[in-house]
Amino acid sequence: MRWLMRLIRRNRLEDELDRELASHVEAEVERLIADGLTPSEARRQALAAFGGLEPIRERARDARGTQWIEHLWQDLRYGARVLRRAPGFTLAAIASLAIGIGANTAMFSVTDALLFRPLPVERPHELVFLNRAGYSEPIQRFSYPALQRFRQGVAEVPFAGNTSIARTLFSVDGPSELVLGQLVTGDWFDVLGVRAEAGRVITAADTQELGGKPVVVLSDDFWARRFARDPAVIGKTVTINRVPITVVGVAARGFSGLTIGTRLDCWLPVTMQHELGYYTNAYMEDADDRKPWLTQDGIEFLNIVARLPDGMAHTAVPARMAALHRRSVDSQAEKLADPERREFKRREYLELISAWRGQSPLRETFTEPLQVLMGAAAFVLLIGCANLASLILARGAARSRELSLRLSLGASRGRIVRQLTTESLLLAGLGGLAAVAVARWGADGLLRLAATTRTPIPLSLPFDWRLIAFAGAASLLTGLAFGLMPALRLSRAGLVDGLKTGSRSTSASGRKTRVPFGRALIIAQVTLALTLLVGAVAFVRTFKNLLAEQSGFEREQVVSARFETQLAGFGKEQWPALSQRLLDAARRVPGVRSASLGVTGTLSGVMRIGGGIVVEGQPPHAGPEWTLREEQVGDDFFATMGMPLVRGRDFRLADRVGTQSVAVINETMARRFFGDVDPIGRHFGYGTPPEFEVVGIVRDARIDGPRSPVPSLAYLPLRQHPRNVANYLYIRVTNAPEAAANALRAALASAEPSLAIREVVTLGELTGRTVARERLMSQLTSGFGLLALAVAALGLYATISYSVVRRTSELGVRLALGASPGSVRWLVLRETLLVVGAGCVIGLLFAVPALRYVGTLLFGLSPGDPVTLVTATATLLVVSVLAALIPAMRAARTDPIRALRSE
Amino acid sequence: MASDRSDLLQGTLDMLILKVLNRGPLHGYAIAQRIGAISRALLQVPQGSLYPALHRLENKRLLSAAWARTPSGRDVKVYRLTTKGRRQLSEEVADWERLAEAIRLILQTAE
Repeated sequence: MRWLMRLIRRNRLEDELDRELASHVEAEVERLIADGLTPSEARRQALAAFGGLEPIRERARDARGTQWIEHLWQDLRYGARVLRRAPGFTLAAIASLAIGIGANTAMFSVTDALLFRPLPVERPHELVFLNRAGYSEPIQRFSYPALQRFRQGVAEVPFAGNTSIARTLFSVDGPSELVLGQLVTGDWFDVLGVRAEAGRVITAADTQELGGKPVVVLSDDFWARRFARDPAVIGKTVTINRVPITVVGVAARGFSGLTIGTRLDCWLPVTMQHELGYYTNAYMEDADDRKPWLTQDGIEFLNIVARLPDGMAHTAVPARMAALHRRSVDSQAEKLADPERREFKRREYLELISAWRGQSPLRETFTEPLQVLMGAAAFVLLIGCANLASLILARGAARSRELSLRLSLGASRGRIVRQLTTESLLLAGLGGLAAVAVARWGADGLLRLAATTRTPIPLSLPFDWRLIAFAGAASLLTGLAFGLMPALRLSRAGLVDGLKTGSRSTSASGRKTRVPFGRALIIAQVTLALTLLVGAVAFVRTFKNLLAEQSGFEREQVVSARFETQLAGFGKEQWPALSQRLLDAARRVPGVRSASLGVTGTLSGVMRIGGGIVVEGQPPHAGPEWTLREEQVGDDFFATMGMPLVRGRDFRLADRVGTQSVAVINETMARRFFGDVDPIGRHFGYGTPPEFEVVGIVRDARIDGPRSPVPSLAYLPLRQHPRNVANYLYIRVTNAPEAAANALRAALASAEPSLAIREVVTLGELTGRTVARERLMSQLTSGFGLLALAVAALGLYATISYSVVRRTSELGVRLALGASPGSVRWLVLRETLLVVGAGCVIGLLFAVPALRYVGTLLFGLSPGDPVTLVTATATLLVVSVLAALIPAMRAARTDPIRALRSE
Repeated sequence: MASDRSDLLQGTLDMLILKVLNRGPLHGYAIAQRIGAISRALLQVPQGSLYPALHRLENKRLLSAAWARTPSGRDVKVYRLTTKGRRQLSEEVADWERLAEAIRLILQTAE
């Protein structure tokens, strides 16, 4: 900071230097006078000995070490003056930089938050998740007894567990609302090192006994959102899933559990599982889900997180954990009768997954799209850079007189380059400042676009040094990228061009020095823009293809209502009566043709999978391909959904408890499980003898959305399975579905006021959610594509206009010699087409491999899809010709007399 | 500049300034005079280099400076060696002597 002081005291230092030098000269003069010289001669000699005072001053300034900053300051002031003199250029440049850098910063901000940000816990790098590897996908679910085995077997490692996040009915002095809750073991907060923002967190003392202690910890976000951080909430008793529970505290600000991108509202002790009726996301084998889960080894529902302090990862500890798990896998496998299933189970082994950045289902979905979008944003910025470089070059040519004057007055070339680069960096810096605002807005928009529902993805995007550093670095690099090259060229060309040819220039001399570089910039812009356009067209087509995909059920005229029956406190005995009441209410809604029920629902993301299927007349099999999806449905289900039966019959009233269990299977299941045999009348099931008789085959439907493959699916009648609770009600309507949806909501609410209705939407909207990623990609890439097209067209327009102005005299001569305006127009257009054509060819060479790279994100088109390539190229060509047409017309209107006279 | 006067070796000016100031604080003109006098005018400090060197040493905190008035009534900037400067001087002198010794050895034995 000393140089800063010296800079501030610059004037004083200058004075002191002058005084010091003056004093030296005086002393020398005195000595020389004493030697007998005349005063004037003495002064002359004294000064001569110095060789001039100014160079010494200059070198003394250099010695101060502040010269560079003085120059920088000079350059900045000069640059600011230059930019202020061209406000149009400056504003356009800053705006385009703000968009370019802002888009990149927004992408960075979301990517960083999703992929690279450590959890707000103590020493996150020590945390690991336990994973049961060996299957086609990770399974991070363990039973509570399994957690206890780890705790006892590897005592030096702290293990904590949490359940999946579940919808929870929360009420405080009034109507209840659905919030997101999670059950945790007593030491969970302690192991993570998360403290309380207010009150206290859940501790081991809360989970001493089964069913105990009725306490809840709120998330800071929920506390702020719902209670405006009222400290009086702590100590209050609220109702959660109809159980009175005391709020004991609020977790640390910024902590929202281990799942990134989910807004978690509260944490409850895992020992309350049974009392709270928590029944989410469990794998069950040989278990009774109606009894407390904690005592049963067959119910796997806990995610285990462990803390391995530095160094412990390289000791025998992980191996001991793995061996412990091995033993329990082996003993579980022993119990399996089927040798294939036993073998399958034995493949399982324990794996430790680093947990420093938590887990997130969003990661798998959005990592690749974010990479592609970051690439697209970078392309937009590059096009902007190329564009600005050519603009600066064009402006620089106009400034060549100023530059050559400065060069001839003794400024070094380096000094000129520095001056011009400083101007560019100043522009980039201003653009970067605006970009930060653009980025904040853009990142929020991105989360809104990427969300499957109307609420944006709750990913916290802090405004911190990482964001600032990225925007700063991006601005600096951008400034250098578009500023350095033109500065080097201008400083070289300046002296020759400016003084020799003055204002006059012919295309012959101009072309040699400048146009090739300018053309290269245009070609680069066209190449990048075409690549982006091809991507945009491909993603828009992908989205369209997905929506056009046959779903196999009626999308627009079916309304789905989803509710939480269990949370509202309806027991299984009450269920049949309630479901009848709801169905009656739904059937009375105007325009309803039929109504039905479902347990796991269509397009819901919920599923129920059974494995180890036994099929009559087939040898027993095990493995993932022998699993099937199971769905229990009400009467009229297929008619309501518009799913036609291809063979056999629908369920009928005679299919009741006590009669033969029946099933309607889909075509995929018929093919996969029965092969060439006609399944009607045959049996399948989970045991021997198989219990379900196939009575019908229904046409395949994409019940998980257009992108997901059709699973093997068996529909069972709810009538024969009254223990299962339906959470979905469907109506088939003949009128406007939106009105019907509102009417249905009102009808259900009045039929049963305590029912927690989650949402009432058409199947069309639910389909839209399954392609949210593709919607995001198509919207953003087409946004970037259009931006790129606009910037490239502007660049083309500016460059061509500039070349027309430079060639005014040449064009004048041509016209004077009898060239027709049409041929002059063609001359300019041909030049444009050549450059754009070259850019298109290179662009296509880039675009096809780029499309292949994003191939997994595409749907219904190949990487070399001709329609995509032709559409993009044609769009670019048309826009380019339009951009060039204006300067071409202007060229044709050149007045030969004036053009020649202006020389 | 007379040809029988040696040009100062690069970097040695700093050491000479430090050495001269080691005997007590002096102003710029006096430093130049002193270097000339001690070396019996064999070395002439190029006056253009002296002040930049003084400022450089001051920036490095090897010297401190204060304004004073001479008996003849002139304002002069008096430079003084700092502790850091003294340490630097002894290091540089040691280095110089090692180098000089090495060169002397080469000159003696290289025949």
